Amino acid sequence: MSTLPDHLRVYRVAAEPGTRVIVASVGLACCAMEVESAVRLGLLRTDAGDAESAGRTILLVAGTVTDALAPAVNAILATLPPDTLVVSFGACAGTGGPYWDAPTVTKGIDQLAPVAQYIPGCPPRPDALVAGLLALTVEPSR
Amino acid sequence: MSAVVHGVIALVPDACTSCMICVRECPTWCITVESHAEQVSEPGARRPRTVSVLDRFAIDFGLCMYCGICIDVCPFDALEWAPTIDHSSASRDGLVHDTERLSGWRMHE
Repeated sequence: MSTLPDHLRVYRVAAEPGTRVIVASVGLACCAMEVESAVRLGLLRTDAGDAESAGRTILLVAGTVTDALAPAVNAILATLPPDTLVVSFGACAGTGGPYWDAPTVTKGIDQLAPVAQYIPGCPPRPDALVAGLLALTVEPSR
Repeated sequence: MSAVVHGVIALVPDACTSCMICVRECPTWCITVESHAEQVSEPGARRPRTVSVLDRFAIDFGLCMYCGICIDVCPFDALEWAPTIDHSSASRDGLVHDTERLSGWRMHE
């Protein structure tokens, strides 16, 4: 596998130039706007998306995952390197959030794959995203 | 009034009367309040007063929508916005913060 799938957005955390953190963003709902906002603010930089040159791949799931959409998230994860870390961005991805009582919403993406870091918020602020991603890179033992 | 960063919701434990209004108004039911009743005898009073004593106040930030309804409805201003954004966690349980952490986030003592 030389490149990541075209439909994924790939970024690098600007504050951590030494460590190449690739964020394959799965933007599903309003949380995706905060991820885009982090790009606008220069906290994330758009990356070429070359998987082989990536030190570590982080799959950032931002938004509401429904049970109908869950296989698509799994399919994306299957295309990424095996050591990919899954980061949950926002209340919906973490626990179902406001849809905690909805029958069609997946109550947290940890039902699909182990989550390395939960970033809380509805939506989380762009700087909370970076703080969460950096917390992950500081403690790589997980 | 200066701009308030909606980073996290902080608690003023001494102001909280365990009235449960925030718990009931929260759209995602992410607040847990545990309290017990105590009898307070005051000199000269005809009978002791019964007061609620807060044992535990916890917010599950995994569920929290950061909508601020709890802050708005609290009659005693026991909840307030704080600018902290660094409270992500490696575990689901780590998103639940109780009295000590919530009060530590306060901007003004």
